[in-house]
Amino acid sequence: MITLHNIRCRSLTIDHLEILPGITSIIGPNGGGKTTLLRLCAGLLTPMNGTVLIDGKTPGQTETGYVNEFPDRNILFPTVNDELASPLRFSHVPCKEITEIVTAHARAWDICHLLGRRMQDLSGGEKMLMALATACITRPTLLALDEYDSHLDASRCATIETMIQQSGTTYIIRCTQQMETAASGDYLLFIDHGHIIHAGTPAAVFASLSGTPYYPLSWRCFG
Amino acid sequence: MKLILDQVIARRGPWSLEADGCFDKGIHLVTGDLGSGKSTLALIMAGLFPTEQGTVRMEQIRGVMLSMEFPEFYLTGLTVAEECASWGLDAEEIVQNTGLCISTTTPPLCLSRGELKCLHLSCVLARPHDLLLLDEPFSSLDCSQKERLCTELSQRQEGITVLFTHEQATFPRVDHIWEIADGRLVDCGVLPGALERWQHAPELVKKLVCAGMIPENLTPDKIWEAACRIQG
Repeated sequence: MITLHNIRCRSLTIDHLEILPGITSIIGPNGGGKTTLLRLCAGLLTPMNGTVLIDGKTPGQTETGYVNEFPDRNILFPTVNDELASPLRFSHVPCKEITEIVTAHARAWDICHLLGRRMQDLSGGEKMLMALATACITRPTLLALDEYDSHLDASRCATIETMIQQSGTTYIIRCTQQMETAASGDYLLFIDHGHIIHAGTPAAVFASLSGTPYYPLSWRCFG
Repeated sequence: MKLILDQVIARRGPWSLEADGCFDKGIHLVTGDLGSGKSTLALIMAGLFPTEQGTVRMEQIRGVMLSMEFPEFYLTGLTVAEECASWGLDAEEIVQNTGLCISTTTPPLCLSRGELKCLHLSCVLARPHDLLLLDEPFSSLDCSQKERLCTELSQRQEGITVLFTHEQATFPRVDHIWEIADGRLVDCGVLPGALERWQHAPELVKKLVCAGMIPENLTPDKIWEAACRIQG
């Protein structure tokens, strides 16, 4: 379980929040604090006050994959191959093993055709796809995804949704502005003005958001 | 007022795009898979990407505005006020239009990405443009801001607006749909007939079309109206 207690960080205030294993989606208005919560869980931000624990460990002690909302900010290396291999190299995995893992991972993510290209030549969506694949290559305990789906087409989103669900990652926390995506997770948080307004299953949270633009259109149409 | 792509072929390494079509007044939606060439087509239309063959002709178009996917590329001001001023706009008015709770003294890069996108789009839409090219305008916007943007776009009476997007749920009133498939721009036609030919249609639209209930347009109300017809 991820536990956030007595958190004060930038505009975000959380007295107590428990996040269970599974897929947790975070939705809410722009500037409400979604990314701040995500970065706290991933250990990229330290709270001014309070604690974040992932199964009793600090975020810094936990293997985490993070995908930034700005695709260019995920990039460290000039080529796709080096980018994909980078988390393994940082973990000092033997070179031969890295080649095998990268090849298998690229095949699984259907990105073999990108391997020889330069990162800067990829489209925005392809960069995001690469960031996701790179974040997942070390099989992290926590995968923190900041609006990755803003840059992907529907068919790629569906493929990645399946891959994320099958990744075996214990905790997947994602910010999204696609309500159909949010509806498909296990848990849902609605954040506004730095406070968690609603938390629970997608059905329970969306019931509270009925009549707002956040209520999924497919639910409105077909229940 | 027209933008004509006359047998255009653009190439980047092994990748190529063929485009032939006429974009007249109204709102055009261009969809396509990841990496299919939507952003490149936007650059071609704006005259910012060279064509290998064919021509891009503008008739009675006096000004072109291209809004790219990532708003940070446009920043020139160190504060929201300076950024708005660089567009020749009043910051207080722009911020009020967005409905955001941000100060005009805030550095733009301290805004969340969604806030920055709202600010950028508000600056873009504050002035008339004969040809307005919006590349992924909905990315990073929250649901309320998407609705606000759709309302503003639907109210545009003049000019040619072309939306290049992966968006699946929130659309303005659209006049014409195009899609890029197999390296070629395909004309799906005007709405509502275009919805039957649109390969990249959102699942909800496909479901309605399959049931024979073709929505009059893509706005949430028109989609809902079609769904209500199914349910009697």
